[in-house]
Amino acid sequence: MDSFFARYRNLLVLLAILMAQIAGLAVQVRRSSAGTNTLDPSDPSGVRLIRLWGNAIVSPPERLIHGTKIGMESMWTNYIDLGHVRDENRDLKKTVDRLRLEQAALLEDARQGQRLQALLGFQEKYIYTTVAAQAYGSSGSDRSHVFYIDKGAHDGLKPDMAVITADGIVGKVRDVFPHTAQVLAVNDATSGAGVILETTRIRGILRGDAVGRLEVVGILADQRIQPGEKVLTAGGDLIFPRGLPVGVVEKVIPDPERDSFIDILVKPAAHLERLDEVLVITSTEPRFSPQEEQDLTVSESQKDVVPTAIKDQVKASEIMAEKLPGLVDPNLPPDQQPLHDSSNPNPAPQPPQPLHADEFSPGAATTPAPETNTEPAPKPQTKKPAAPHAAEGNGGKPQPAEVSKPQTPQRRNP
Amino acid sequence: MSLLSADSRRDMEIRRYPLLVYALVPLASLVLQAWLPRVVGRFDWFDLPLVITVYFALGRRSPIQGTIMGAGMGLFEDALSHHPIGVNGIAKTLVGFLAASVGIRIEVENHIVRLLLNFSLSLLSSVVYFFTYRFLLGLALEWSWLTELMRAVGNSLIAVVLFPLLDRLQIRE
Repeated sequence: MDSFFARYRNLLVLLAILMAQIAGLAVQVRRSSAGTNTLDPSDPSGVRLIRLWGNAIVSPPERLIHGTKIGMESMWTNYIDLGHVRDENRDLKKTVDRLRLEQAALLEDARQGQRLQALLGFQEKYIYTTVAAQAYGSSGSDRSHVFYIDKGAHDGLKPDMAVITADGIVGKVRDVFPHTAQVLAVNDATSGAGVILETTRIRGILRGDAVGRLEVVGILADQRIQPGEKVLTAGGDLIFPRGLPVGVVEKVIPDPERDSFIDILVKPAAHLERLDEVLVITSTEPRFSPQEEQDLTVSESQKDVVPTAIKDQVKASEIMAEKLPGLVDPNLPPDQQPLHDSSNPNPAPQPPQPLHADEFSPGAATTPAPETNTEPAPKPQTKKPAAPHAAEGNGGKPQPAEVSKPQTPQRRNP
Repeated sequence: MSLLSADSRRDMEIRRYPLLVYALVPLASLVLQAWLPRVVGRFDWFDLPLVITVYFALGRRSPIQGTIMGAGMGLFEDALSHHPIGVNGIAKTLVGFLAASVGIRIEVENHIVRLLLNFSLSLLSSVVYFFTYRFLLGLALEWSWLTELMRAVGNSLIAVVLFPLLDRLQIRE
């Protein structure tokens, strides 16, 4: 027996190690109800421990290398390559001033939108708080499109939080360690996000293919989809807020597995291969954040502070308007308006009279229809404003029509 | 390529390295493998842990050591990915075992031999990975054989450059 073990020692060790790994794999895979095998999304404790050890050993030197690279790059940008900083600063200040004015103009629209959404019972989630993180490492394999960031559980990160950049979405947090986190990129084959095409409003599922390209799958063939159309997040996956940029349509190809379906190759908006700074959305709330509220307050206070140049332009246009003759003079009665002035060498042309007047003819709207002996048309079911009746009961004075408000059900007290 | 009996070659040419080399070189390969793809983008057609596994397995000429080293490197790679832990482990375990078994029997100092060995073992690793993932576990896997071929070529070229450098780290008697 000893000679057997001595002779086949190498093979026995190989078999033992292989069997141990196969047994370890078996506990990580689950049989779904559909009869297919799936990877258990929540790692067993032993597997999670191995991932934690692997991360703890590889991360520190990796972060050191990445930090050295960043330090050398920042030394170059901060001390050597300062040629255009002043010009850039001046341009940025101009941009900030312009954006403040635009923000003030958009403020009312945004608030009105919120009020209308509240009336409709629809709550739009706004990005509320984000955590900035530095991407420093990857899985090391193009079979697994994950990368690591230098923020973890101690910074409030949790699995399934969305990760974005200023350009577009990047991925979602998959695994969280104390000081680091693993992010599953959107171009991984196991990733998935609900997306919508901006113009055609066609929805699909975003994922990665074998070589890490982004594609939208599960779409019926549609001639309207053209390269260049923007792709946005649809917001239905409970991970990415709605309306974030994903990329643009690059190419439409037929689905190799299903007839009449197509796949859309998407050029990602974010640079997925060269990520540095990313933002992790830690919470979304149906309201503006304090920082955004503060920005809006500043914008509101500056809304009236119109630049002098714009004031001068407005004043000049008002003076010109007073001096130039107009077609309608508010101080003259209707029959003496310049429009009806017979001395005018270029009078406004009168519209030709119709041969057979109908309801679309000029003046038909104000002319009551002649009574006939035919049966009256059935009354429409929709409610109409009570303005005419109110005018009759008010000495003929027209009253403004009431704006209909949505009726909220009365709450009954128990 | 001279053929010798397994025991005589093993006794003659077992390479020994300082303990620090056994610890730092594999760790450096894992760290660089995780960091370099961020620098080179999508042209990450290399697998440094596999190259290092092949190197030490060939140098030590011990199938058991090659097996253990391959298993350790593969499990580390799996731990950094989001795939099941053990898929890379199984692939590199077999690679380490085979590399050491081949190293006993043939002369591996020649660059051409090193190049061909790394190319074939890289492809074998990819095949085992694919087989384990798709058929043993029954999981869906997007796969590109062209990428695997490019990776095998990349590993072979890296090995031709890296092996002579690592040879300098061995203990000379």
